[in-house]
Amino acid sequence: MKQLLRYAVLCIVLLALVVPSFATTAREKVTLEFWGGWTGPDADTMKGIVKQWNDKNPDIQVNLTTQAWSPLFDAFLVAAGANKSPDILAMHPPEIPQFVGLGLLTPLDDVIAKSTVIKPDNYLDTAWKFSSYDGKQYGIPLDMHMHGLFYNVDLFKAAGIKDPPKTGKELLEDARLLTLDKNGKHAGEQGFDPKNIVQYGINMYTNHHAFYEWYSLYNQEGGKFLSEDGKSCAIDVDKATAAWQFLQDLVYKENVAPQGQTDYPRDFLSKRTAMLVDGPWRMPQLEDSQAKDGFNWADAPFPVIFDKPAVWGSGHTLTLPSKADPAKQGAAVQFLEWLAANSTAWAKSGNLPAFKAVMESKDFQSMTGRQAFISQMPVEVTLPNTVKYNQIFATNAPTPIMVMAQNIILKQADPRAEVKTACDTINSILATP
Amino acid sequence: MLRILPRPRTVAQTAAAERHFRWTPYLFLLPYLLFFVTFRLGPAVAGLGVSFTNWAVVGQPQWVGLANYEAMFRDPRLLTALRNTLFFTALTVPLLVVLGLALAIFLNQPRRGRTLGRVAVFTPYVMMSTAVGVVWTWLLEKDYGLINVYLGKLGIPNVPWLTDERAAMYAIVLATVWWTVGYGMVLFLAGLQDIPEELYEAARIDGASSWGLFRYITLPLLAPTTFLVILLAIINSFQVFDQVYVMTSGGPGSATLTLVQYIYVTAFQFFKMGYGAAIAGLLFALLIIFALVQTRAYRRGLKGASA
Repeated sequence: MKQLLRYAVLCIVLLALVVPSFATTAREKVTLEFWGGWTGPDADTMKGIVKQWNDKNPDIQVNLTTQAWSPLFDAFLVAAGANKSPDILAMHPPEIPQFVGLGLLTPLDDVIAKSTVIKPDNYLDTAWKFSSYDGKQYGIPLDMHMHGLFYNVDLFKAAGIKDPPKTGKELLEDARLLTLDKNGKHAGEQGFDPKNIVQYGINMYTNHHAFYEWYSLYNQEGGKFLSEDGKSCAIDVDKATAAWQFLQDLVYKENVAPQGQTDYPRDFLSKRTAMLVDGPWRMPQLEDSQAKDGFNWADAPFPVIFDKPAVWGSGHTLTLPSKADPAKQGAAVQFLEWLAANSTAWAKSGNLPAFKAVMESKDFQSMTGRQAFISQMPVEVTLPNTVKYNQIFATNAPTPIMVMAQNIILKQADPRAEVKTACDTINSILATP
Repeated sequence: MLRILPRPRTVAQTAAAERHFRWTPYLFLLPYLLFFVTFRLGPAVAGLGVSFTNWAVVGQPQWVGLANYEAMFRDPRLLTALRNTLFFTALTVPLLVVLGLALAIFLNQPRRGRTLGRVAVFTPYVMMSTAVGVVWTWLLEKDYGLINVYLGKLGIPNVPWLTDERAAMYAIVLATVWWTVGYGMVLFLAGLQDIPEELYEAARIDGASSWGLFRYITLPLLAPTTFLVILLAIINSFQVFDQVYVMTSGGPGSATLTLVQYIYVTAFQFFKMGYGAAIAGLLFALLIIFALVQTRAYRRGLKGASA
């Protein structure tokens, strides 16, 4: 009996020595919820980057959820309603105001003050500015992207054009030379047959990118969209009409762009259009086509058709939702600091990193085709900040901008009337609480 | 020995059995009733409540009484959505009913390949709406789509199916009828097979023509099935969303904007839950009216037939 008791005490003492040490060596693992709306190759690239972090940081694991932007934001609202927001939420800069209006995003001034990496000087001015709203910083910019001009080098050579167009005049001239009918005559030439065109000079969007192209031209004229207080439509009807007319004429007057186009990259790759206005996300596909079929492409900045350089763009920005677990914010910032400095991999999918160190690195600067876009970063213009962003600019519903763009490009509607209608609708949207 | 006849009982036992409450049928219904109340009836009533508020999903709903319903009258886009949805229904329902009946009659007669025909017509119905939308977007693509390629061989120039505001709705009707006609056909087949063969024999002996058989026997005896098919087609057409959203997103312009898409963007993209719920209430009211009118007409028709 005494022997048994002695053994029992020995066991208890041993356990008491061992078990607490288990408790102290097992450090707390934090899991961060990171939501982004990337689909396709972008999603794969981001998943790879997150995996890199997870492999090196067993204490802070990041769980990346990707689904299309629209349902992603729906899910975000529901989660916020249940006080279970993700720890990090990606979005585009113009989407910030509506979430700030609902009180769902944390201002980042504290985070910026305490961090050594996330500082305004470490990011491109324009990118940093776009992620701020109402005097406060709400997003940490990840990347920027904007329209550029892709062109078919072989077709340019065949038409005798040396350099890509830089002005509106050059664009029209080149597009005319590059639009050929089945007899080989180009647009503007005597005997040109607009009913039998086999090759077009340039593409013309029939979706929301038509509006973005117009937005570039309108900003090149120095036009304003919303009033300073954001309460009314401030569109200059004359300037707006001039910009739309230029685009509409490409299709209906000059015949250098196809009517009712829907598959723009395919038309470019199949040589149906010699030029393609598109963003840097197109480059992986073009690089692929070049490697497999020898498709000879190059890119240039979006031409300056009116007075000063400006081009529509957007980007991705990372926000910290307010209804997430505040205890995890430190870990989230750690991850974001690492992500900022290690975003070269993100550039491979065509995005342009906003973090200066990465942007200025040799790795990034030497990637083919990126120069044309990098040079435009200072002149990018994003859609105006407004809490009613979705009601005015959403692209999957008949918003005033979509109706205006599609009527003008698809129906050859009168641009002046369409601009006025759009402005009226925008005013009524801004007027309702 | 098999018990075929009911167990012999005394008068008192039978009376007692009739007074005793039967739980069994209700127990069978209970699972579905629970599902129905939790996921259909409950949210519908809650939605009605939301329609009297302004609510942006986060934050508290604010009571606004009938303001959302008043706003509906001043909303030109709601009118567009309503008009488009009515146009879609007016095109789709007759096509579904007439084609469904025609296919059912054709595939009810004994002939070779009858089963294959039935399977071929019904199979699209089991496809997901979004898959149907994507497939038809490819088929209807203006420059590369299969339909225009074949039309081109007949000398017809490329039709801008989904980018012309007049053609877009017809394109969607085409895709929808292809997708759902099988269901009506199946219902009509069941109805046709319920009609006793002797009626047709008797009529043929009396010298009735094919058309006479159809008009005086088939159609009247199919009336309950026809009523059902029309009602279901109207209810489903009014709620069309998935394939339209995938194929045109309500465009070009707002030519194919439907009621349900408008409810969806209003509530979930513009964060105006109260107004969205009010429009949903309007949709519900419209469907109830249609159902009542149709039921009244059917009953009157029945009374007339039996007079």
